[in-house]
Amino acid sequence: MDVKFNNRDPVYVQVIRHFKEQIAKGSFAPGHVIPSRRELANQLKINPNTVQRAYKEMEEQKLIYTEGNMPSCITKDETVLKSVREELISEAVQVFISSIKSINAPLPEIMELVQKQYEEAEQRD
Amino acid sequence: MIEVKNVSKKYKRKQVLKDMSFTAEKGQITCLIGINGAGKTTIMKSIMALTPIDRGEILIDGKKISKDAYEKITYIPDRLTMSPNYTIAQSFEFMADFYKVWNEQRATELLAFFQLDPNDKISSLSKGNTAKVNLLLGLALDVDYILMDEPFSGIDIFSREQIANVFTSHLIENRGVIITTHEINDIEHLIDKAVLIGDGRVLREMNVEEMRETEGKSVVDVMREVYVG
Repeated sequence: MDVKFNNRDPVYVQVIRHFKEQIAKGSFAPGHVIPSRRELANQLKINPNTVQRAYKEMEEQKLIYTEGNMPSCITKDETVLKSVREELISEAVQVFISSIKSINAPLPEIMELVQKQYEEAEQRD
Repeated sequence: MIEVKNVSKKYKRKQVLKDMSFTAEKGQITCLIGINGAGKTTIMKSIMALTPIDRGEILIDGKKISKDAYEKITYIPDRLTMSPNYTIAQSFEFMADFYKVWNEQRATELLAFFQLDPNDKISSLSKGNTAKVNLLLGLALDVDYILMDEPFSGIDIFSREQIANVFTSHLIENRGVIITTHEINDIEHLIDKAVLIGDGRVLREMNVEEMRETEGKSVVDVMREVYVG
């Protein structure tokens, strides 16, 4: 797991973001066992207290769950998983819209370009 | 918790600590940042009672430092103070003789962690490996608090990375750590708290995640504000 952290956003927020992306992509399947606090801190080279904070927050958001003494897992709750994906997509679209609005580009023109460039990008991958 | 309360100190006529106050919690990594001559080493030595203070007080878990406290807190100076004629294994024996809290098992584990050979003579080690032995001897003590003076200075990037890995490992777990540095880049994401020091005073004390959360500023951003103005 290799994540590039920036220095200005809270690191725990960046960790949660990383988990959401993995869930949305499907790399973290429902029920997937996640690393312990210490393991993750070690992998990402960040403060263990920060990972603790991220895990606590994700438990509260029901993204992960812990049963008794077992390691924590990604939620199996379909509604939560679906909403994570929707949230990320909607966020990205909002960013896109605000930058495109600032140059007053009309929607049909944009849609055409989006379609074309998206297909090109997919071919490259 | 280590509490530094209104500590002042003079070396001859030079005032090196001026009414300095900050705290360092157990289970957290507190980083004292400041340029050379800011008073970082002096405050570490003051906490360890290796040098007397003129005013103020320093408490460790609510108590003033005493002889017994040396089994609870340790100081890793910026260079190795072990005899260069010893092998690493001999330096372990030395530590075992002098400290009740020396943990041989952890020392062996650290040897593997740092990929050091116990039969090597200390005088034959590279600068990076000498720094690792220095750190190892402190980390292998079962103490609640560890003070490290410039653990990253003057060593190569790979040794620095290895040392940084210690901070996320179980070797530090639940202990209170104070480290000094004038170079924050390597460890910005590793620390809980930063205490910016300049000219013998605490210029800013902050929880780094809170600073990012409430003001969107990195440690370096705040340093720029404080030191450059």
